Amino acid sequence: MLRYWQRRFKTGILTEKPEFDARMKELRKRLKKGIAKHFAGSLAIRMVDSGSCNACEAECNALSNPYYDLERLGIRFVASPRHADVMLLSGVLTFNMLPHVLDAWEQIPEPKWCITLGDCPAMQAPFTRTFAIQAPAAEHLPVAHHIPGCPPSPNTIIEGLLEFLETLQNGKQGTGN
Amino acid sequence: MEKGGSGMENSRKRLIARYAVDRGEHFEIVTRYDTETTRERADRQEPRAPSLMPRYPAANWFERKIADDFGIRFEGAYDFRPLLHHERWPVGNHPMRKDFDVHRVLEFSEYRPYKYEAVGGDGVFEVAVGPIHAGIIEPGHFHFSQAGEEMLHQEVRHFYKYRGIEKMLEGKSLAEAAPIVARISGNESVATQIALARISAQVEKKDLSEALQARWGILLELERIAHHWTDLGFIPNDAGFGAALAFASARAEETRRQLRDLTGHRFAFDALMREPRPWDREELIRWCRHMSQEAKWFEEWITDIPSLWDRMDTTGILTSGNALRYGCVGVVARASSVELDVRSEEPFYRERGFEPKQESSGDVAARFKVRLMELKHSLELIETFAKEASSEGFAFTETGEGAFESFVESSLGELYMAIELVGGKISRFFVRDPSFINWQALHLMMPGNIIADFPLINKSCDLSYAGNDL
Ligand code: SF4
Repeated sequence: MLRYWQRRFKTGILTEKPEFDARMKELRKRLKKGIAKHFAGSLAIRMVDSGSCNACEAECNALSNPYYDLERLGIRFVASPRHADVMLLSGVLTFNMLPHVLDAWEQIPEPKWCITLGDCPAMQAPFTRTFAIQAPAAEHLPVAHHIPGCPPSPNTIIEGLLEFLETLQNGKQGTGN
Repeated sequence: MEKGGSGMENSRKRLIARYAVDRGEHFEIVTRYDTETTRERADRQEPRAPSLMPRYPAANWFERKIADDFGIRFEGAYDFRPLLHHERWPVGNHPMRKDFDVHRVLEFSEYRPYKYEAVGGDGVFEVAVGPIHAGIIEPGHFHFSQAGEEMLHQEVRHFYKYRGIEKMLEGKSLAEAAPIVARISGNESVATQIALARISAQVEKKDLSEALQARWGILLELERIAHHWTDLGFIPNDAGFGAALAFASARAEETRRQLRDLTGHRFAFDALMREPRPWDREELIRWCRHMSQEAKWFEEWITDIPSLWDRMDTTGILTSGNALRYGCVGVVARASSVELDVRSEEPFYRERGFEPKQESSGDVAARFKVRLMELKHSLELIETFAKEASSEGFAFTETGEGAFESFVESSLGELYMAIELVGGKISRFFVRDPSFINWQALHLMMPGNIIADFPLINKSCDLSYAGNDL
């Protein structure tokens, strides 16, 4: 274990993009009332994969690696939809997943927001529609914001989430069913 | 072509894949073993075929998939439950038949419950997990029969991500199919692209230059390194040792960035057909040496954490007998003394010092160790490949006639692809992800372990849902 601590001191902190912190700080200020009211200072995201290739999930997981360390922005991925403010939806919404996705959405307490992640849910990835695909997601859910990319890189996801917070500030309300 | 066998139980053929093709008047069932390919006919009016399930347990999913895809009944089978067609699927629709339109709009039907495998008995209870899991992870369902903490049995149920990709690709040329094929499974994009490219080269009777193979080898090994680092972090993390994840996920990130520098994409999507970026040989070699140092440091550090090995040793054992019976592939097979790695059969790899890595205890610890050994070896291979690699691009063909197949050792194991082309267009696309076999063997690792160890065991096998479900 000693080896680990030696290494830890030598490496220091890898996390990049301090401008995100600055921007988030500023954003937090501007969002003061809104965020405090809706999110109690932290945004809880329930990620739901509705038929992705798994690269979108891999990039979300990468958000926790020491280079991005998303949690320091007050954004957390939660295990239950009942703890979530936002459903982050990836994938092409397969025939087999659609009922489960709608189920998860129902379980999220209001106010709630659906953000689509990656080109798949918008049917903009190279896949062509088949009998087994129910995307675009907007036909089934009130999509509040979209983060494009195939997959969106971790930085793009962070920027997309901040953009979403900005649209909230501009008065867009959460959507129910 | 003869494929690598089991090494031990030589009398028995290894089942690699089984799928069907619509031939108009009849259906043809194609079975690929390591030593041969067999073809059977099934009548169109009343399609039936003898089941292989009693002899090959992994025939289970292949045959249930064929039954859903084509409406063929397997006689002598012990499992007739639908596989791809879930509770709300409208019965009687068999999408892989040629007269089924790929764009048909299916209505959700009445809910028909699926009968899970479960162990009965006093005090035995069932635990249902999924399809949506707690973490950031693909959807699938795990069904446990429990005696208290102890798992008696577990059934894996998948195909929530079933996108209809086999049908989606029909009517497309290989060039048109390539971007979709690259996105079947993000975990194995390079491997799947190479499988398609090898078929494209066979169609055009082109030899792949060694310089091009070296370039693809670099990308394939980088994909493996990214993947193995991720697992080497998540396995200890699932045993409560989070520091390993912090370290290994940073290395995985650095590997993704290396892929991005070489291909313009962090997962190397569409990398084979893209114009290669200018790259610096020496820089890549330096990167490999640095990463090898990191791997060495990680190994020394992690070997020294007894409480971690306490969780990994003897947990989730797959015996080599079971691995052979199911025809397991990849790290899962190699950690149970099964000598099977597509790279061992490729002269290009062999001539450059490739050696398959193996362990014998078949537990989580063995799979962990195989991953670490392979990661270090992949770095050595990249150093060698870097000296010969070219910056050639590759164009997928628009033409072709006939049946073709290819094998690639993806980071998850042996990937098998078979394509039939008519007039340059795909008339049948089939790919068997390594996970399709290994998922079926997962339940063998559970009995005698507690349910809290399931995530650890599952992660040590690291199987794909997207590649499996198609
Ligand atoms: S958007 Fe692209 S990367 Fe994301 S799941 Fe779809 S195909 Fe994969």
